[in-house]
Order: sequence, then structure tokens, then C-alpha cells
Amino acid sequence: MGDLARRVALRRSELDSVMTTTCDVLVIGSGAGGAPTAALLAEAGLDVIVVEEGSHIEQGVIVPFSLEQMNRQYRGGGVTVALGRPSIAYTEGRCAGGGTEVNSGLYRRPPGEVVERWRQGWRIDDLDPDDVERLAGEVETALSVQLLPGPASEPSRALQRGAERLGWKSDESPRWMTYPDGDPRRGQRQSMTRTYLPRAAAAGARLMYDCRVDRLEFTGDRAVAAHVTRADGSRGSIRFRDVFVCAGAIHTPALLQRSGLRRNIGRTLAVHPTVKLAARFADRVNVPDDVPVHQVKEFAPDLSFGGSASHPGLVALALLDNWRDFKGAVVEWPNIAVYYAAITSEGRGRVVSLPGTTDPLVTYRLTSRDRSLLAQGLERLSMLLLEAGATDVFPSYRDAPRVRDRRSLADVSSTFRASKASVMTVHLCSTVPMGEDRDRCGASSHGLVHDTVNVRVNDASLLPDAPGVNPQGSVMSVALRNVRHFLAEVRRG
Amino acid sequence: MRTPSPTVVTSTCRVVLENDLPDLDPVRRDVVTAFVAERLTVLPGPMRLGVSVVALVVAAIHSVAGDRSLVKLSSISLPIVGEYFRLLRSLSYAYVWETWPDASPSGAVSSIPS
Repeated sequence: MGDLARRVALRRSELDSVMTTTCDVLVIGSGAGGAPTAALLAEAGLDVIVVEEGSHIEQGVIVPFSLEQMNRQYRGGGVTVALGRPSIAYTEGRCAGGGTEVNSGLYRRPPGEVVERWRQGWRIDDLDPDDVERLAGEVETALSVQLLPGPASEPSRALQRGAERLGWKSDESPRWMTYPDGDPRRGQRQSMTRTYLPRAAAAGARLMYDCRVDRLEFTGDRAVAAHVTRADGSRGSIRFRDVFVCAGAIHTPALLQRSGLRRNIGRTLAVHPTVKLAARFADRVNVPDDVPVHQVKEFAPDLSFGGSASHPGLVALALLDNWRDFKGAVVEWPNIAVYYAAITSEGRGRVVSLPGTTDPLVTYRLTSRDRSLLAQGLERLSMLLLEAGATDVFPSYRDAPRVRDRRSLADVSSTFRASKASVMTVHLCSTVPMGEDRDRCGASSHGLVHDTVNVRVNDASLLPDAPGVNPQGSVMSVALRNVRHFLAEVRRG
Repeated sequence: MRTPSPTVVTSTCRVVLENDLPDLDPVRRDVVTAFVAERLTVLPGPMRLGVSVVALVVAAIHSVAGDRSLVKLSSISLPIVGEYFRLLRSLSYAYVWETWPDASPSGAVSSIPS
């Protein structure tokens, strides 16, 4: 850390004396990384504080995927963008439980070949695919990961049907949900506020919501305190022996940078860029408040297809890019479902903290291969939905053609440009990659930030690149691994 | 960090909606523009600053050149200005059809405004 940054941090710290408390371990963030970290630490007998910037909101209070949910549980009201050509819209949870409260609830184990690629490519010690598999099993038990107890929704079955007719591989993604009375339409997500956060609290962890960490204060290479601001504007500090930063792939590197740590921090953002389309069917298919569970994996890991939430507002959004030609379809939203094509990107982005704001600047650059894959994805997804029985397909890019038959698929490939598309992502990772390759990694093999002795990262930031599947299972498995490694070190003294 | 002025945003948004959704009741249109303006105040800092600058430029053009020029500008695919109009439309359309799912493509809603 630079001397100037450290001196400035110390001078500012003198001003923050309203509230001061102490703990053994501070966990910053309460999502898929922070919640299991806090639970295991507290259950091991450590005095733990969890600080979460967002509020605690009970499940069921807000309609899933609604504008109200975006307003209350997403960062920036759900309007956050990685700048580039094209810019990529992304979303982050900002509430107790983080993204696990608002995402699709779909679960995938970290693929063994991906774990092996990470181990070799980033020189990660002790990353054994078999161990990760075992940890994934532990996560699955804790979150009640299971398949639907009954038939999938119609938009989901459409994906499956289209894939079957084309001879493409598809499967049902399990979810971390329970189903009271075996009703597949009444799934209750086993998010962090239902699982690991209650465990942490039961073991004595103190959970502080509506409280943002502005920066870490250092003495030499040791972090000693976190300077915080509460939602009411009051400020204070939390002193600790160790700290786990689990604020997600955007705000973990931003906080580290604000605290003077910049080496390989925030330079390698990886995402799964997606493009969307709306598909109209002859019969009612729309499910406003849930997502399809089937995914098409014929071209994975490069390319995957799935379904999105499709309430009428989101249908209108999917039609927006060629509103002039597509607007007539909006009244038929009950017969419309929204789908996506996601790619494994070779591009990378940056997270850069800026003076005067806690929000960083985020950028992302797609490669030409990424752009080509997005075009292929939209064309193949259109074909699949036509096979599934869609009467019209409305791709989401400027001046897109309406696709009614296989002949018009050629119009998609000839007119699509990524720069004209509404590209978005919900999977963000790799901004503090773990490993022993110090030229490219921001943290050690177990998440200890380089050049520090007690600052650990334990969230999606550590994943060396985007895993090509829903990453929550990977994030949680790695988090369990790292916190157990930390506890073993503590026991050894 | 600077927040876009609600007046600047709502006047631009109002003109865009009058053109895009001509049958949207004026009371509802005001509700939508207020929602959009409020949502822009919670954007992340750097984005809020960028949007504020573009909103001011667009508002200046609007005040000089009038509603028709603004509508024309909103239909051109300019790199940054186009993103601003897309943001306004995204928030507006999402709000309109989430709140009044029976709205027609021109914004007409059969039920009485609340």
C-alpha cells in the first residue's frame, strides 16, 4: 500500500469516532461468500461481526423481479452498467443475503474441468477438484438443492421441447429451494437469510445491516479497523483482528482500492454476457415472477440458453430496441416469455475506485470472438424457440427483424451487431483472482490479499474466471474451503 | 456526486413519452416521469455524473430547438446521447407495463387513473 494512501486513511480515521466496536473477525458483506464465512467463523467460537450495506427484507414481502425489488434490494435501483461498446448492464444484490435473495435460485456445481483449469492456470495450491466436489455437496445439503417436485413451467418446457426437437442437450437446473406440499409453483428460496445468516446469528455473530464500510485502516501491512457509515449518516469504526471482504466482484475490489490496495485488484473482471429475445407462442406461457429451470447446454461452455423472468414490464423492455416494429406485441404479453443466450467471454473489464464516491467506475470490453458468439447465440436461440412452437421471435437489438421461420434466421446473423444489442449480465467475478501467480493474482490460494497479513477476500472476486455456469455453487464451495483453511491456521496459532 | 435535476429529466422524459405513448393519460405520464427522475437519483456515482452531464446537454438542446427536435434526437442512435434516451425509455416502459399491464402500445389504459 502506498504511504500517501495510508497517511490519508489515518488522518481521516481521526474524524470517525461516533461509534467504535471490536471483534475477532469482521465479515464485510452477507451474500454467497460472506454468509457461510460468518457462519463457520462464529460456529468455531470466534467473535464475528457481519456488516451489510443493504437492509434486511423478509422473503415474500416483495414480488420477485419487480421494480420494487430492484429499488429495495438491488444496488443503484438495478441500473448499473459496465461501460464499453456496447455497455453491459449488470445487477447486484444490495440487501441482507446479497444476490442470493434476488437471483434465479438456479444451482450448478463448479465443473471439475474448470476447477482444474483454475488450479493449473493460476497456480492455486490445494485446490483439489474432489475436495471442491465434496464442498459443493455440503452446500447442496445446506441449501436444500433439488429438482422441481412436479412439472416445470411452460416457458421452461418450451426450452426443453425445442432442444429435444433439434437433438440438442438440455437439462433441468436444480434450485436451492424447498417446496411446501410438493407444489413446484410455491418454491421457497433457501437464500442466505434462510440458511447461513441464521446459523451465524445463532452462533453469536452480530449482524449489522444498513451499514457501509468506507475503507480499511492499516498499520503497516495489517488492517486494524474498518471505517463505516450507517444509513442514517452516523459514522464509526470497527476494530478487528482479521477481516474477510465479501462485498461482491464490484465492491470488494473497490473497497480494497479505497483502502490503498491496488496490486492486481479490479483489473480482470469476468462476466457471462447475455443477449435476450422475446418469444410469442399461440397459448398463454407467461410466468411473471419466476424463471424457467431448463437450460440448453449443447454448445456449453461457450454458449448456454435459458429463460428470464417475464413480467409485462420486462416483456416491454425486451421489445424496446425495435419498438417501432415490435410494440404491437406488448399487449400479447401473456403469450410471451423472455429468454437469453449467455456466453463464456474472453473479454475482461476493470473496476476502478474514484475519489469522492464509494461507487467505482466499471468497464468491460468484449472481444471479437465474444461478439461473434453473441450473434450465434441469438440466432440459435431463435431457431430453438421456433422449434419449440414460437410463432414470433423478437430479438433484443436495434432494428432487429421479427423472426417467424427458419428463413428469417439469416436476417438475425446478417443484422446483429453487439453494439446494437442490449447486453447484460448477472454473473460478475474474478476481480481479485486467487493463486500463487503474483503477476496476475490479487490474493493467495486461500484468499489472503497480497501485501497484507490479515485481509482476506472470500466471494466471487476470487474465482479466476467466469465458470461458464451459474457461479453461486462455485462461490460458496470456495468460500467454505477458504474459511476452513483460515480456521486451521488460527488453531495452529 | 452530482444528481441529475428532476426538472431537466422530467421535461425530457415527458416529451419522449408524449411521442412514444401518445395515449398515456397525462396524470399517469407525470407518475412515470416522476418515477424515472427519482430512479436516476439512486444511480451509482460515476453513472449519475455522466447521466447528469448528458441530461443537461439534452435539456439545453431541447430549450433551444424545441420538442420536435428533441423527439428527433431521441430517435437517432448516437453513442452516449442514445444511451441516455434508452435509459429513460427502459425505466418508463418497464414502469408503465408493470403498473398497467393492460396498456396498449400507444399507452392507452382502459382503467381509470388512480
